[in-house]
Amino acid sequence: MIYSLYLHVPFCKHRCAYCDFNTYAGQEALIPDYVDALVREIESVAHSAPEQLAVHTIFFGGGTPSLLTSKQFEQIFRALRGHFDLSDLETSLEANPGTVSLDTLRDLRSLGFNRISFGVQSFHANELRQLERIHDPFDVFDAVTWARRAGFENLNLDLIFGLPQQSLDRWSATVKRAVGLAPEHLSLYALTVEHGTPFGRWAARGLLPVPDADAAAEMYEWAGDFLSASGYEQYEISNWAKPGFQCEHNLQTWRNQPYLGFGAGAHGYAAGVRYSNVLRIKTYIERLTNPESRTVNIEFPFSPATVNRLPSTVRSEMQETMMLGLRLTSEGVSAADFAARFGVPVTDVFGKEIDELLGLGLLEWVLPPSPAFGRGAGGEGIIRLTKRARLLGNQVFIRFVD
Amino acid sequence: MTEKIRNFCIIAHIDHGKSTLADRLLHLTGTVSDRDTTEQILDSMDLEREKGVTIKASAVRMNYTAGDGSAYELNLIDTPGHVDFGYEVSRALNACEGAVLVVDASQGIEAQTLANLYQALEADLVIIPVINKIDLITARPDEVAEDIGSLLGVPPAEVIRVSAKDGTNVAAVLEAIVRKVPPPKGDANLPLRALIFDSHYDSYKGVIAYIRVVEGKVTADEAIRMIATGVDVKPIEVGTFAPMMKPAAGLAAGEVGYIATGLKSVHEARVGDTVTSAARPAPHPLPGYRHPKPMVFAGIYPSEAEDYQNLREALDKLQLNDASLTFEPETSQALGFGFRAGFLGLFHMEIIQERLEREYDLSMVFTAPTVAYEVLMHDGTVTVVNSPADLPDEGLIAEIREPWMTIEIITPTDYYGPIMELVTRRRGIYKQQEYPAPHRVQLDYEIPLSEIIVDFFDELKSRTRGYASLDYQFLEYRMDELQKLEILVNGEPVDALATIVHEKEAYHKGQRFITKLKELIPRQLFDVAIQASAGGRIISRANVKATRKDVLAKCYGGDISRKKKLLEKQKKGKKRLKMVGNVEIPQEAFMAVLSLEED
Ligand SMILES: Nc1nc2c(ncn2[C@@H]2O[C@H](COP(=O)(O)OP(=O)(O)OP(=O)(O)O)[C@@H](O)[C@H]2O)c(=O)[nH]1
Ligand code: SF4
Ligand SMILES: [Mg+2]
Repeated sequence: MIYSLYLHVPFCKHRCAYCDFNTYAGQEALIPDYVDALVREIESVAHSAPEQLAVHTIFFGGGTPSLLTSKQFEQIFRALRGHFDLSDLETSLEANPGTVSLDTLRDLRSLGFNRISFGVQSFHANELRQLERIHDPFDVFDAVTWARRAGFENLNLDLIFGLPQQSLDRWSATVKRAVGLAPEHLSLYALTVEHGTPFGRWAARGLLPVPDADAAAEMYEWAGDFLSASGYEQYEISNWAKPGFQCEHNLQTWRNQPYLGFGAGAHGYAAGVRYSNVLRIKTYIERLTNPESRTVNIEFPFSPATVNRLPSTVRSEMQETMMLGLRLTSEGVSAADFAARFGVPVTDVFGKEIDELLGLGLLEWVLPPSPAFGRGAGGEGIIRLTKRARLLGNQVFIRFVD
Repeated sequence: MTEKIRNFCIIAHIDHGKSTLADRLLHLTGTVSDRDTTEQILDSMDLEREKGVTIKASAVRMNYTAGDGSAYELNLIDTPGHVDFGYEVSRALNACEGAVLVVDASQGIEAQTLANLYQALEADLVIIPVINKIDLITARPDEVAEDIGSLLGVPPAEVIRVSAKDGTNVAAVLEAIVRKVPPPKGDANLPLRALIFDSHYDSYKGVIAYIRVVEGKVTADEAIRMIATGVDVKPIEVGTFAPMMKPAAGLAAGEVGYIATGLKSVHEARVGDTVTSAARPAPHPLPGYRHPKPMVFAGIYPSEAEDYQNLREALDKLQLNDASLTFEPETSQALGFGFRAGFLGLFHMEIIQERLEREYDLSMVFTAPTVAYEVLMHDGTVTVVNSPADLPDEGLIAEIREPWMTIEIITPTDYYGPIMELVTRRRGIYKQQEYPAPHRVQLDYEIPLSEIIVDFFDELKSRTRGYASLDYQFLEYRMDELQKLEILVNGEPVDALATIVHEKEAYHKGQRFITKLKELIPRQLFDVAIQASAGGRIISRANVKATRKDVLAKCYGGDISRKKKLLEKQKKGKKRLKMVGNVEIPQEAFMAVLSLEED
């Protein structure tokens, strides 16, 4: 079994108006203690692991991980190298374009990072202001140029569509500019207005003229066509990459493979349990500093900061394998992998659902299995979303949950 | 023995304070202690408490030592005031010798004040008029006493003025009951005859029959017989309401109480039936009384087919407590297996719906309520149609008749115009008017029932700022130019959405219906065409465009559990939709026809 590691850095200079992630502004003074706590959590979890774990991806997400200094990253990497078997790594960093310089990027590269994901969101200054991002379009050009010069050969840009008052033209301008910077990878997310955010409050008062679902669908479809014409392959509902540049870390999640989560509010999935850590930074630090909580014997994969544990059942694992795997628009769920993992053909477990969705034109079999084995059971076929279903994923996924 | 018994009921227009007055009487007689502070003690169903409305009549025994020094047994029967439950009142009256007529001091005489009073007079009851709520600043007790006086032909000074809320002068009501209401007549030595005036179902003791013993005695030791159904049974228990059920050695002529029959089906111990002794049966039953007839019908379908049996059992149980609820199995192409249920009125239907949801935790689709039509066929036969979908082919029909009602509306004279306009717009015919009190007019109309089951009462209230009151009775069936308005979804008629309308209104209603449905039907994976058709013509159409985007395309950090929860929630919401063919239709759509009135 090979693992992925997720490290959460819940600090931002300013909270964006649409953001409901577990992140905090104005708490930067806590960063040094937080990094110490992260190191302790890594030690604790690695210690309770049944063996030294092999790891193939590391992902620093946030928040704004790029707010950490190279010294602080150095400290974390030392701990990771000391406790895990790292080889052939994809090491990603989420970065805010307004928080990097050529020097810091050079440092990050020499620390071992080989992939950067920039939260670009838009190339229109007024849209960025409305989102309350701290960067402007020029910062993005600088950041990408510097990253190239620092030796990064694998860059992602995150973009958001369906912004207030956004037209298809404005959106396509953003996509074209992003493609003009020739990143290896692009993530396109639909704006989701969440409760408890400023956007949520404005929307409740009717002050947020977001495009309707049809307009958002237009934008998505236009971008999909444009990206494939520009040499990008879609491999997940929201993700496109040049051949060979799919994000290994995210693939791990969608293939329903294990990952360990470190940091405040981080989620993990290992040893058959979905679990997550306490959200607040201070509590997180306390839990990992307090000598009492550190000495109690904690079972893998938990740490003193773990607050939620949801053990999987065979049924839930099967459901999640479908619901996650079907997000992978190209590789989908392989009948052979499913059968190997669970000892039973996918068509025996979800035959009714699959047939219904095939009938609705939302799923398709690729490489139909040989008749000798029956549909999907023999190991040659994969089942995946049809092109039309990429935007109707929920209609598919709800059939695989209770 | 019966010399010291008084059986009485309290009658009033809705909300004039019957239940509150009853509470007062219970406190004054020490039947409940002051520490039992729950208001409206006789309203024991949760739903009653919440709506502040009495749905089922209740009976309770009180012991009272009167001003003359002797002890009396007072049996109080509380009755509901809502017009849908008028039949409960008529039952209660048959078990009493006297009626306390409560009139609100600020509202004055209203439609059901009169309707209930007339029934009480018909049943030969002694009337004790009481003006309630004299504590209100808006109270005008002198005027109201004047009105009641002239109505009953008694001196206004004889009308007792009370505040049930603060207790003022309530004792005078008890004294009047003792003095004016005659003791029950009836020979305790004759063979047993007792009237079942209500019942409820208890899971341990079976059907509990509420009875008034008219002649003879009943004890738990002796087998009884239901005269109409011929069922013999040995009671589990006999007792009185104090106000909870309290076992007693027996009940004799004149007394009010209950028999726990142990019977499992209300059909074996029907309200209105006469209980007699199995060993020494009485030769004749007591005169029966008007059995309530359902006026409004609707389909009830389980949201999920697996719940059919549960729904059936729930309806059975409700019927144990509510003889006026009728139901029979029905199948709809659109909704599957369900029931066609009959109700006394829309309010009654609402109560049943809420009880099914709340007490039995069922999720259902109710189709729009309809009345029962009489259809005369060309071959001379007449069939009764209480579901629009059952209307025979137009070519076979000679005529369609619908139930007409007489309605009396009592209102301050200021609202004369708006009421006239409302009623005539709904095909009502003006008959006559009367002035039962100064500034009050009683307007009598005839109107099709189908026009008043659809938010008529709400409209009336809003046009008169709540002042008008309404009473209605069935009049007769009349022929009119009626036709079926059908809704087609993707070309297929949906039986559960069909309705019967007047020809002149078909076009307008069809258009409104389609507009409504377009708002209500969620977008699906394909385009959905909806059409309204009447008399073989499509009169309106619309298209619900296919949904294009339904996916979580959001950045999320490994939090699969949350994503899954969102999907589970969405799935649950979807389950509440009804699959009609391959189109998902929300439950509200089946009631949409109720809101087609506005312009
Ligand atoms: N101010 C005042 N309010 C009263 C009095 N008596 C009753 N009420 C209020 O009037 C409302 C209706 O009282 P109920 O006793 O529920 O009336 P009801 O006649 O039993 O009503 P239904 O059972 O629905 O027919 C309640 O809000 C009572 O609190 C009174 O003497 N004074
Ligand atoms: S930078 Fe990202 S994590 Fe931070 S507030 Fe903005 S959207 Fe949220
Ligand atoms: Mg009441």
